[in-house]
Amino acid sequence: MVLDFFHSPILVIIIPLIGGFITPGLSLVASKYSLTKYRDYIVFGFMATTFLLILNTAIQGWGEIYVYPLGGWEPPLGISVVLDGLGVFISLIVGSISLLILYYSLDFMKDKKRLSQFYTLMLFLIAGMLGVSYTGDIFNLYVFFEIMSIASYALIAFYRTSDSIEASLKYIIIGSLGTGFILTGIVILYALTGTLNIADLAVRMSLISSEGFPLLSLLALGFLIVGFGMKVGMIPFHAWLPDAYQGAPIPVTTIMAGGTGIIGISSLLRIVYLIYGNGLANNLLLGLGLLTMIIGALLALRQYRLKRLLAYSSISQMGYVLFGLGIGNSLGISSGLYHMLNKAIFKSLLFLLAGIIITRLKTDNMKELGGLAKKMPITAVFFAVGSLALVGIPPFNGFVTKAGIFYGGMQAGYPVLSTIAAFSATLTVIYIIRAYILIFLGEPGDRVKNYTGQNNYKLLLPAFALVIACIVFGIFPGLGFNATEAAQEVLLNPELYIEAVFP
Amino acid sequence: MMSLNFPVVVLLFTLGLYCILGKKNIIKIIIGLSIMTDGVHLLLISLGYRSEGIAPIVPSSMLENFSEIAGLAVDPVPQALVLTSIVINVCILALALSLAIHKFRQQGSTNVQDFNNLKN
Repeated sequence: MVLDFFHSPILVIIIPLIGGFITPGLSLVASKYSLTKYRDYIVFGFMATTFLLILNTAIQGWGEIYVYPLGGWEPPLGISVVLDGLGVFISLIVGSISLLILYYSLDFMKDKKRLSQFYTLMLFLIAGMLGVSYTGDIFNLYVFFEIMSIASYALIAFYRTSDSIEASLKYIIIGSLGTGFILTGIVILYALTGTLNIADLAVRMSLISSEGFPLLSLLALGFLIVGFGMKVGMIPFHAWLPDAYQGAPIPVTTIMAGGTGIIGISSLLRIVYLIYGNGLANNLLLGLGLLTMIIGALLALRQYRLKRLLAYSSISQMGYVLFGLGIGNSLGISSGLYHMLNKAIFKSLLFLLAGIIITRLKTDNMKELGGLAKKMPITAVFFAVGSLALVGIPPFNGFVTKAGIFYGGMQAGYPVLSTIAAFSATLTVIYIIRAYILIFLGEPGDRVKNYTGQNNYKLLLPAFALVIACIVFGIFPGLGFNATEAAQEVLLNPELYIEAVFP
Repeated sequence: MMSLNFPVVVLLFTLGLYCILGKKNIIKIIIGLSIMTDGVHLLLISLGYRSEGIAPIVPSSMLENFSEIAGLAVDPVPQALVLTSIVINVCILALALSLAIHKFRQQGSTNVQDFNNLKN
């Protein structure tokens, strides 16, 4: 596909956004002629086009930082799209996970009502995520973040059952509190520097802070960390996350585990590393990461609901990412970023399989399951791969990054903290093995005994793709480290980013 | 008058935060959310304010004394930002209230302590 590289950065954001606006009209026409199936295919087509464009930008601009000024207004006057290593890396993760999830939804959601709303909001969510990863303007980042958040609030409540409304209500309160904090942080930064362009902010911040950071800039940093922490589900602010994951439809849960959490962390990274520079918030990130990984895992130990268990495990894995990024040396940061990719892969895999189990057996209470391995052998094998990757057993991908984070911590002189982090992996082993035994081994419960059903290969195909990814990224870790190299360089050397924006 | 804005911002922000964290009624919590973001909007709009400022529009005939006008004009960026932010927050407010209505119809309560279906 030959597309002019110079417009594809913005088309990546525009196509899902316009697609979202077209979908309701399309659905009206489609339902009139009872062709709703084709509406779904068209939505999938929007996403597939977007994914091809992301690949196109990633391949053509690999290793460079490309600046695309919107409307021809040069930065810092206009808003610009900046494709640096981090943005491209994040957009690749988000794009591929969204593509798989939309494919899964084609079959998973097909007999649900109000599907036009589902696909519209899904496209807005994707547009928001891609916008956050590509933008070079901090207020624009906030706007895309809100597009993403509002779409996810509405999607969580999609079934309109008591559970999902409650989950959405909790998330909307804590989430908008978080975005309110983010806005406050951005406003204080604007008051200090008078600019919104991230590169310009970095330049002016380094001028202001030549004799130590002024108190207001630290206040802004605090607001931003708390705000993004709320959106990510960092430990003191995690209360909404298990509820939201439990109440949401499975495709939405998966896209939140594999997409929006990563977006939150990457925006935090951009701000902490690019604007404030390496070293200021590292200890904070380390501490929060350690707390998040241990408490998340401890809470996961006592869950009997499958989705809730995976949600706590998701919090815990986010802790590893934060810990790796807080280490602040090149191995730590690249392992942290790589773990973000791995987390997206194996968490999405586990959630997609959980979706298959829950729809078949009409329950997510693990006490009522058991002995499923005989009835659903393929699902059992895939789930085992996902669990082993999550734990970090060698041929699978989790091992590489957990080891990388451990050695990175050792190199940077945090031997005690790194050892604690390594030991907290044993908690992961305990909860995931417990879950596996409760679901797949042991005496079958009544629901499992009465269960007769055929494998649905359309649902298993995206899971199979993720299984392959787990193995490939485990056997060839060089692939992942190559992908994170450019991102890590930008984070450690903000000058590269600034030089690209202001040549 | 300018000096009054910033204490009011702090007041609105803490009042909203107190409402969100301290109140049990979902409607009051949503009101708190609205008050808090309005505090941030006031802060934002106060940043661009300049007493006896003029509109930041420069006709081509006055381009030669551009620097003079730039010295008098208010900062247009916060106004654009605050409009965007207000629209976003109206959106959140509407969604939150509609969810609260749904929840009230299902459970007959607006007390957040009754919203604990998901825990078990």
